[in-house]
Amino acid sequence: MSKVFVFDHSRCNGCRNCQLACKDEHVGTDWLPYALSQPDTGQFWLKLEERVRGQVPKVKVAYTPVLCQHCASAPCRDAAEKAGKPDAVYRRDDGLVIFDPAFSGDLSLATALVESCPFSAAWLDETRGCAQKCTGCAHLVDAGELPHCVDVCPHEALRFGEEEDFAAEIAAAGYLLDSEASAACKPQVYYLNKPKRFIGGIVVDLEIDEVLIGAKVTLENLETGDVRACETDEFGDFWFQQIDAAHYKVYVEAQGYMTRVVEASCVHEDINIGPVAMSRAFGEAVG
Amino acid sequence: MQETQQHNPGHLGSDPQKVRGKTIVKGLGFNSFGIGTNACYVDIDEERDAILRIRPLRYTDHYTPEDLNAWKIEARGKTFEPGFKTLISPLSLSYKKRIYSKNRIPCPLKRVDWDPEGARNPQNRGTSGYTRISWDEAAKLIAKEIKRVHDSYGPASVLCEYDGHGETKIVHASHGCMTKMFELCGGFTSQQRNPDSWEGWYWGAKHIWGMDPLGQNSLQNNCVKDVSENGDALLFWGCDPETTPLGWGGYMASRLCFWFTDIGVKQIHISPDVNYTNAVHADKWIPVLPNTDAALQLAIAYTWITEGTYDAEYLASHAVGFENFAHYVMGGEDGIAKTPKWAEAICGVPAYTIKAFARYWASKAVSIVHCNGGSYIRSTFSHEPARLEVALLGMQGLGKPGANQFKLLEWTLFGIETVTPLPPSTNIPNIGPAYRGWVKGAQPSFIPKTMIPEALMNPPISWYGHIGAGLPREDQFTGPYTFPLEGNERIHMVWSDTPCWETCWNGGYHMQDALRHESIECVVVQHPWMENECLLADIILPTNTKFETEDIGTDSDSGQWNTVFWEQRAINPLADSKSDKEAVAEVARALEAYGGIYEDLYNRYLGHKTDDEWIKVGFDSCGAPESLSFDDFKEKQFYPFPTRKDWKEMPAGLIGFYRDPEANPLQTPSGKLEYYSTSLAYYFPNDKERSPIPRWVDKSDEHEERTYLPRGRQYPYLLVSNHPHFRVHAQHDDVTWLREIETCKVTGPDGYKYEPIWVNPKDAGKLGLKTGDIAKIYNERGGVLGGVIVTERIIEGAIYQDHGSRVDTIVLGAGGLDRGGANNLIAPKATTSKNSAGEVTSGFLVNIEKVDVFALAKQYPEAFSRAFDKDCGLIASVRIVEEV
Repeated sequence: MSKVFVFDHSRCNGCRNCQLACKDEHVGTDWLPYALSQPDTGQFWLKLEERVRGQVPKVKVAYTPVLCQHCASAPCRDAAEKAGKPDAVYRRDDGLVIFDPAFSGDLSLATALVESCPFSAAWLDETRGCAQKCTGCAHLVDAGELPHCVDVCPHEALRFGEEEDFAAEIAAAGYLLDSEASAACKPQVYYLNKPKRFIGGIVVDLEIDEVLIGAKVTLENLETGDVRACETDEFGDFWFQQIDAAHYKVYVEAQGYMTRVVEASCVHEDINIGPVAMSRAFGEAVG
Repeated sequence: MQETQQHNPGHLGSDPQKVRGKTIVKGLGFNSFGIGTNACYVDIDEERDAILRIRPLRYTDHYTPEDLNAWKIEARGKTFEPGFKTLISPLSLSYKKRIYSKNRIPCPLKRVDWDPEGARNPQNRGTSGYTRISWDEAAKLIAKEIKRVHDSYGPASVLCEYDGHGETKIVHASHGCMTKMFELCGGFTSQQRNPDSWEGWYWGAKHIWGMDPLGQNSLQNNCVKDVSENGDALLFWGCDPETTPLGWGGYMASRLCFWFTDIGVKQIHISPDVNYTNAVHADKWIPVLPNTDAALQLAIAYTWITEGTYDAEYLASHAVGFENFAHYVMGGEDGIAKTPKWAEAICGVPAYTIKAFARYWASKAVSIVHCNGGSYIRSTFSHEPARLEVALLGMQGLGKPGANQFKLLEWTLFGIETVTPLPPSTNIPNIGPAYRGWVKGAQPSFIPKTMIPEALMNPPISWYGHIGAGLPREDQFTGPYTFPLEGNERIHMVWSDTPCWETCWNGGYHMQDALRHESIECVVVQHPWMENECLLADIILPTNTKFETEDIGTDSDSGQWNTVFWEQRAINPLADSKSDKEAVAEVARALEAYGGIYEDLYNRYLGHKTDDEWIKVGFDSCGAPESLSFDDFKEKQFYPFPTRKDWKEMPAGLIGFYRDPEANPLQTPSGKLEYYSTSLAYYFPNDKERSPIPRWVDKSDEHEERTYLPRGRQYPYLLVSNHPHFRVHAQHDDVTWLREIETCKVTGPDGYKYEPIWVNPKDAGKLGLKTGDIAKIYNERGGVLGGVIVTERIIEGAIYQDHGSRVDTIVLGAGGLDRGGANNLIAPKATTSKNSAGEVTSGFLVNIEKVDVFALAKQYPEAFSRAFDKDCGLIASVRIVEEV
């Protein structure tokens, strides 16, 4: 039986309670046998990363908590073994991966552990010669409590519990990183509703200075040929959410107007195309 | 203050009892005024005298859902429940770092070159250092100064600054203890706190719909249920529920935003910035240039009038003076029709979007939600957008199902039962009788907070109204009042327990000049942290935090269940600190030596009761059922008042007025919506800035804060200064766990953490700015530095920097320069408008340019050589020097 964390992007308000709770719990307090205290600043056993998406006036912020993934096949355990200290990292019966603080004072071991983590979730304390990271608040779990970060989440965006109780979420979830190498680690932290890319815009007729409502907008993925369509809303807006990072063509059609085609690439970032100005087809009266 | 840092505890992990610690309750809200909020559990390790953790309070630890009469809202096939643990905010959660801050003041201090028997050197306030003195010495010095000022000038020459925000404490109140003392020995001059959070609504909206005491809707009951059942959309007009409630309410408002998304209520944000709510919850963002909302609103009215899409029948029965307003909108008065194209040129919203928005609004049930603050409501002439918002709501049948105005914070403000839009608890506990802070009610001698620098430097001054937050509409017409009162002297002594005027109010550089004025002979500050005006004091008393005292508290702003709780002492007082109440008591005791009016002052000040007795007074008055004994209460540590049984039957918002305006009149003279205010016409007939009907106001004799006016060529950007995301105004700026967040501070090449400035990429391109640069924002009033973040979260033409960063002045006084980024220093000194003494602290003109901090360090070696802590920033020890 294994404990897992499940994070749902669609319920996160970016408050950072999780990040701060980790500090509150671990800075200034040793929780042996699981962890020495966390330094006041500079280490983030749970760090909420933020990314601004899009351009004015279609802008969103995505938040992602990065913490030890408590991998079932943890590269840090291999690193410890390779360093000849196989007991320096262990996986508890409940699946929480622990760096044993008893191995402090070995800077080269600590460095190897930190460097082995593909998620950048382990931190080096050069002064004490130790590697440190999220323990899943194992001391609290032992006392029948939730990890502090989970307890303070106002929206249950970050949850913790038995793997079997989260079967449905796990089936729908992804990992922090999309690579095959990361999947091979079998992370025990699952991410629901991971943000993909968006393309949005507004359809207007500048001659009459009006937005066009109900215009048909079609999005064609130039790599796969996949097509999605929608209609502009009451504000003339269209917004394709959760699309793949790719090159696209956007076709805008409206009754009485010449069809416009705009190319847009959201390979590197989310894109607001901005106003798509439509011209009336020959002979059509102003709407 | 290294010695007060929490020490490493050793091995605790194996014992579940020790892991959990002893659990006590603390209200970790930061609004002060004796209003408690943000109930939290605090786990402490008594053996080590240390705080283990701060976490949510669980209502169900001692009470069942039935005890609580737990409410839920059901709509559109879904259910919203408030949850059984408090929704604590990061500002509460990170508070350990505030308690143990390196910026805590370790002991009483005296400015080295202030000699009450000789040269007082007022000009050196802000630059000279401090030396340690004993509590006894400090109390005697202050007592002697009070006696001298009383004898030479009279009691009204002592100004007490005691309003504003701070820790929420009752028996050990953080603000106003000194007024309790002065009231017993001759009185004082009061710094009158104004309706700062509500400026525009207070000065403007009241005149169209009454709504005392604040001008925002005071009839909000069941607005959340109403919108859940009947609403199509919510307009967040400069409103940020992910930020503004955090000091006094936590995350219920955030949960409501998710709920509205879940049930398909469209959330439309209108603001220059992508605030923290917009970033996560918005369905639509309409960017508008700072403080130009009034133009947008007028164009919406124009669209409705020309297209006949407003509720004329409703206005006929519910409003007066609409024809005057319509005449103005259509250009009848000034020849300028307030068309969408006209508005576009001012506010930057494309005319096509204004029209689409107007049509959407006219065809749907739309409510407006607010969280106070920002350029929308704290800029020049803010009464105009606030009135226009109500004018628009009226044109669409204000009060009809789904069409109200309500707030996402302050849900029991002033103990008013009708200002909560959520299911209310049976009681709003009032423990006021135990409150040992500020003296309530108006003082004969008072000065509006917005006019303090003028009052200190250039008396006499005069104004209209008592200015106090929460006074009825009619008070705005009283006066003019004058300072000083006939026969009184000017101010010669200042005592503050709220030393953040510079970084929270209008024109802070003038406050620096005022506190260094030759007429000010003595400045006393009591505070836990060495910040802001502490650095302008002659004597500093180190007070402590609520973790170091025992008290009683309430939380009535959670939106869950109003709760009263016992607050046990968590840790022993740090260093040589005393509570604010105890600090003033020391002075009261020292004053007794002078006899006469000072006789027995200590006991009179303490109200002849011990702390325990005052806590019992609070419990006895809180309204808890008689079946709950004081001992029971202390054992359980808290008592939540259950949800009202009849909450579902309470009328939603203004439905009563909507259905029958004669039977349910508004508090205006006519009882109706007054598009033409007869009171303003009568009392201020020549006021062009706040005329009887709401208008677009370009400028005045005092203000020219528009990009398209001549001053805008020199200072071409409008500053957005919101309630800060990582602070409560001036509080929390030293919290290392917040400061290390990349978006909280920007670390400069000199290692100093600068307050962020958001710049749109297009402006950044023009200005040659990139993320990480250090820049100066400035106008003729001075400049402040900040760290640039180039981001799409702010529109072109606007610059964003939160307010409340700690002052770290390089050049003091008017035209000065500040390293800390306290942009209130460069806000206009003049008030909202001619007859409205509100603050203007956002939406004003600035320019911005990149600076080289190393060149500045050469130019200003003294300021730049002051030591700072790389994580905490400014620290107290740097200002403490040896005796000269």
